Amino acid sequence: MVADRPPFEDLYRAYLGRIYAYVRAQVGTSADAEDITAQVFMNAYQAYARFEARNTTPAAWLFRIARNATLDHFRAHGRRERLRRTIEHQPVAEEDPSGVAEERIQYRALLARVAQLPERQREAISLRHSGLSFEEVGVLLKCTEDAAKMLYHRAVKALKEAVEEETA
Amino acid sequence: MSEPEDLELEALQRQLDDAFETTRPRPGFEDELWTRMQARRPAGTRLRDAWLGLVQGIREVPAVPLAAVAGLLVVVLGAGVLVYSGVGRGGGAASIAQNRQAGAQPAALSSPGAFGQLPSPRFAAAPTGASAPGPVQSGTPSADYAGQVALTWTGKLDLTISTAPVFRYHEPSTNTADQFATALGAVLVSRPAGYLGSYQTTDFSVRVRGTVQSPAREPTYTVLPITSSASIDAAGGPVDVALVFLAERSLAPSWQYTSNVVVSGDVSQVLLDRQFGVTGYGYAYLVDGNGRRYGIEVDLNGMRPISATGPLTLSIDSAQYPIISADQAVRSALASTQVSAGAPGVPTATLTSAELVYSLVAAGDHSFYEPSILFSGTFTVNGTTYVKRVLVPAIDPTYRSS
Repeated sequence: MVADRPPFEDLYRAYLGRIYAYVRAQVGTSADAEDITAQVFMNAYQAYARFEARNTTPAAWLFRIARNATLDHFRAHGRRERLRRTIEHQPVAEEDPSGVAEERIQYRALLARVAQLPERQREAISLRHSGLSFEEVGVLLKCTEDAAKMLYHRAVKALKEAVEEETA
Repeated sequence: MSEPEDLELEALQRQLDDAFETTRPRPGFEDELWTRMQARRPAGTRLRDAWLGLVQGIREVPAVPLAAVAGLLVVVLGAGVLVYSGVGRGGGAASIAQNRQAGAQPAALSSPGAFGQLPSPRFAAAPTGASAPGPVQSGTPSADYAGQVALTWTGKLDLTISTAPVFRYHEPSTNTADQFATALGAVLVSRPAGYLGSYQTTDFSVRVRGTVQSPAREPTYTVLPITSSASIDAAGGPVDVALVFLAERSLAPSWQYTSNVVVSGDVSQVLLDRQFGVTGYGYAYLVDGNGRRYGIEVDLNGMRPISATGPLTLSIDSAQYPIISADQAVRSALASTQVSAGAPGVPTATLTSAELVYSLVAAGDHSFYEPSILFSGTFTVNGTTYVKRVLVPAIDPTYRSS
């Protein structure tokens, strides 16, 4: 194993939650998010021998795999299905047996609104709030760091308007 | 953009931060997925990892494979030096002691006191109320006699050495535990509270835990067969059955030990008591806070192994430390009780033997096996004879931090 490459399990334990949250903000249900997250780490595990820490950060590498897996998921299920899932996605319909996590429900509602944004805006918010730098977001979205910042700020503004419209 | 709008956007960004930070998969998903990933690896990859784990083990403890092979050869040939021991471990129990040589030697640090000031051993609370870290008394069975006992010394303690090694290990991580399990061919199932990991093969489950602070116990593994294991046909009896079981899983001890068997009905407890080599002295047993020897324990039902517990194989280094003299040790032992011989209503235990032993001192990131002097003797109350043990820390007090 290359000296500057941490054990894969360290990456797995450190990033599983963040990757799941990123995927969860893209898709409608936690079941889909789990399936895609599983696929992400299966793929990453197989590819880890080829991972070069000199060329990219582990975070950027994993999120690239996550982004591709999410796009594959959408392609496999078709845009119609994706739209249906996004429209049908209601935060309170999700499993929350305790029923007491009001804050969590609010966050789910927020993520559901993120999921309804245009693709690039949705990804800019999801990647940025999953802990990536604007530079890393730019690399993943194939644009400059400044363009990534711009895209992100437009996305947040669009999200704010969507929230206001819904609560009006 | 107006200032209020900026503030609203900042608030939304904070909510997004919270939303992403609190959105996590359901409990258990992390370990489930990891297990699935391990299980779906190609057989070749698993074999390679097991091999790498074995090689890693060889690097850490150079003599392990030789010791395992040597142990196995002895079992196969049925050759071994059987020495019947007069010391039993329980009422009505049959006891056999057997010496086996194993050659693993810890890496030695050249300068005396190289580990710095050492923490003091915390022995089990003495029935007489002696306080740690001083000497401790314990009886066998201690629960049967909790009263005060006066002490006298009639034995002879020859300590021709003025220094003894202290052994040190680094606290294992979950990765260490995982490597250990991988070498056994087991995959991670979960990480239960208090354990480094719980693992499984098709035949047995393995649990690994780190150092326990009190009572001090080193990192250990416990192997439990899932299905009823087959009887092992070994000519030498329970000890050889246990050694075959351990050797088949690369768990044969890499250190010097003597063996004892405690038989109770169909169940035999095979105890491989660990020893540390001390130049100029010989071998010193590892004892717990009550002065009782321990190492690996394999439980058998007939000739079928039903469980095995032993210390995790860890890289150990050593450093020499000055130790107290025999006279100082005797004085400390006798001073461990506050009652005098001949006091009315107080039995007097006559300590007749003393030996160098090692006890574990748990100390966080690193833990130590430190030398102590174990005094033993007997006393009689109402016709019942009890064994009395007194443990005295052997390291020169100026090298102890507390």
